[in-house]
Amino acid sequence: MSSQLNNKLTEMRERMSFHSDVCIREITLGATEIKGAIVFVNGLADRDLIDLHILKALMTLRQDCAPLTKSYVMERVLTISQLSEVPNIEETVAKVLMGATAILIDGIPEILLAGTTKNKSRNIEEPISEALVRGPRMGFNECLSDNTAMLRRHGENDSMVFMSMQVGSRAKKDLVIAYMKGIAEPELVEEVAARICKINIDNLPESGYVEQLIEDDFLSPFPQIQSTERPDRVIGAMMEGRVAILLDGTPFALIAPVTFSMLLQSPEDYYERWLAGSLLRLLRFFAAMIALLTPAMYISFISFHPGLIPTKLAISIVGSRIGVPFSSLIEALIMEVAIEILREAGLRLPKPIGPAMGIVGGLIIGEAAVQAGIVSPILVIVVAVTAISSFSIPQYSAGIALRMLRFGAMFCAAAFGLYGVVLFVLLLSAHVCRIKSFGVPYASPGAPYRLGDWKDFFVRAPIFMMRKRPEMMHQESKRRQKNE
Amino acid sequence: MTQKAQDRITTVQAAVIVSNFLLGSGILTLPRASAEVVGTPDVWFSVLLGGFVAIGAGILMAVLSKWHKGKTVFQYNQKLLGKWIGGTIGLAFVIYFFMTAAYQVRALSEVTQLFLLEGTPSWAIVMVFMWVSLYLMFGGINPIARLFELILPVTIVIYLLVMLMSLKLFEWDNLRPFLGQGILPVLDGVRSTALSFLGVEIILVITAFMSNPNHSVKAVVIGTSIPLVIYMLTVVIVIGGLSLDGVLTRTWPTLDLIRSYEYTGLIFERFESLLLVIWIMQIYSTFTITYFASALGLSQIFHFDIKTCLYGLLPIVFTLSTLPQNIDVLFALGDFLGKSAFFLFVPIPLLLLIITKWRKGANKDAAEKSGS
Repeated sequence: MSSQLNNKLTEMRERMSFHSDVCIREITLGATEIKGAIVFVNGLADRDLIDLHILKALMTLRQDCAPLTKSYVMERVLTISQLSEVPNIEETVAKVLMGATAILIDGIPEILLAGTTKNKSRNIEEPISEALVRGPRMGFNECLSDNTAMLRRHGENDSMVFMSMQVGSRAKKDLVIAYMKGIAEPELVEEVAARICKINIDNLPESGYVEQLIEDDFLSPFPQIQSTERPDRVIGAMMEGRVAILLDGTPFALIAPVTFSMLLQSPEDYYERWLAGSLLRLLRFFAAMIALLTPAMYISFISFHPGLIPTKLAISIVGSRIGVPFSSLIEALIMEVAIEILREAGLRLPKPIGPAMGIVGGLIIGEAAVQAGIVSPILVIVVAVTAISSFSIPQYSAGIALRMLRFGAMFCAAAFGLYGVVLFVLLLSAHVCRIKSFGVPYASPGAPYRLGDWKDFFVRAPIFMMRKRPEMMHQESKRRQKNE
Repeated sequence: MTQKAQDRITTVQAAVIVSNFLLGSGILTLPRASAEVVGTPDVWFSVLLGGFVAIGAGILMAVLSKWHKGKTVFQYNQKLLGKWIGGTIGLAFVIYFFMTAAYQVRALSEVTQLFLLEGTPSWAIVMVFMWVSLYLMFGGINPIARLFELILPVTIVIYLLVMLMSLKLFEWDNLRPFLGQGILPVLDGVRSTALSFLGVEIILVITAFMSNPNHSVKAVVIGTSIPLVIYMLTVVIVIGGLSLDGVLTRTWPTLDLIRSYEYTGLIFERFESLLLVIWIMQIYSTFTITYFASALGLSQIFHFDIKTCLYGLLPIVFTLSTLPQNIDVLFALGDFLGKSAFFLFVPIPLLLLIITKWRKGANKDAAEKSGS
């Protein structure tokens, strides 16, 4: 009679002999003489739930219910919401290792599986990498169900679709493709899903893996998929017809497709009044130009065309460079590399030490370098302005792209002066015009012209004027506001 | 995703390509080149008439091209004139296009050496320029069109800015008297000014890529009108600022005009660097589209892969660009190109148009006969 149960238990024990955290608890069901057992993983499964709703229910069973059937147990005994049955041991083991509890009862051939996974997650906190002055103070956390719940709560809408899939061949992880049904172009959703299905890797520790495996051009310096910690940003993107990808275990959601203009946008542009939003956005475009080109301009004007800048300025720059032993390229490289190292060091250091190191590195070394005659004071200004400008880029990955490209611009300037800088800008523009993100040209709405979308490009038009969703996304539903 | 949009350009993009092609070296040299022929301050009137001539020729070519949907001139003239004659004419177009590319890039290296990079050898200037252009061309017509869309507004804004700032040198007297020597010099000048609108012929090639080829006439008219306005403005402001004699003695009158004024108190006091920047961008776009057109022609006539043609033209264009010994020879080459363009792109499209019409009529007749 009890051999069936014993067989199953033995097989389970064999399969999980290397898992020291698996608990097998054998019981006798209430007043009956029926044997049973439950199997769960210590720490993964919720103990309170097991004790109260499985063990207690089973062990206080009255005697008159014999013979015990599966439906009786499922319908009348177990007071647990997520309950299923599995036919074989193999599947049971897989589920148990993810936090479920297996219930084996003598006389019932199937194994019952109770969903007892305990989600240990952080509280909802303000996203660190994307701080806002005005806007919701909540960010995603590492638990996928919390994240989807956050989207659901704040974008409450029955057309919000979550498409769930599993990725990773060894470490299986849940991944959700979220989009708005009736807004997002179906081909886009299919394309995203198809690219994700093609992922064939044993483990995906972070959404950055997904991003790198599904992006269009791996050689490009620009991010072609946006990553964000902000649910409001994700909902905003979904309302424009974009698709979001959420992965379990990371607070960073991905948004696709992305265009160049999005890299310089912040959700705050929409939350502030339109004048402030527009001006701040223009300021950011300007800052991005400065961050990219100022050191290159410095090099080209000093080395090649001092005649093109005002005479007085040229004289003062040349005067301040007297005694500097290096060419302008080496001089600029020394300072730029130094500031990149400072920035990287500041990121890695424990929080209390960071600012102190900034002061030591930035102020003292800069001052000392000028005093020692290694670099000119004008260059220190140039480097500082460049660094501050690059801090104003709202997205970290876009900022990194500009930091890399800045060095390219400097080398071009050192080789060909202003001509080199122009060619560099042309090359960069050619690259931006060549790449696409999920079929959308990266340079849009700048090129191809979509004048309707320019309301949300360099400036942010008043909200009542932005009646339509961005044209470039080919949504199924074009309008966000009804006429009159 | 949406594969249907591949290799198709919009009407606006076609117009932008035409404009960008036209606004090449003409900006810098047109005032002198046209003043030399006209010899009176009425150059702007010649420019206007020249523009109309160019628009007329452009419409002719646009109509011809839209009758052959999805085909470039290299393809349909073989169909109309037979493999050998059509192929030879197509080859002549190809040669014209890559000669123009070589001419443009040489003009670029001359100006760059004169104003920006005195010590740098010409081959280095030309070579990096061609590589940057090649990178764009490998993307095909769509990235080219998109980049041109980015360049054109920047060019127009900056150009208008520097030109309007030079108005403080402007004197109406330099433009008077109007038609002082009658209309004849003006008409004489049209020969020269019409040549500065070379570039409309690109519509023979790009109509094949338009998603709506029926709008090719619209594209060519808009695309030519933008440079027409800019050229008129250039001629009026440059001659008004430097006077006719001043223009005649200068190689690059527009640049000299921008160099001759200063605004103190701003970050920059002189603005020729801005003009040079946009001019380099314009030469880039002209070079790219001519080079691309000739590579496309080669690949369509001889059925090569376009990448092979793009690489194969590289040494040819480079060598050609080094051939003119000095700037006078270069300008002579420019004149020669202009004249040959006149022979290539007016009679031949007209002939093709007539043949097409006749064939269509014949087809219709045949259809009617077989129907009845």
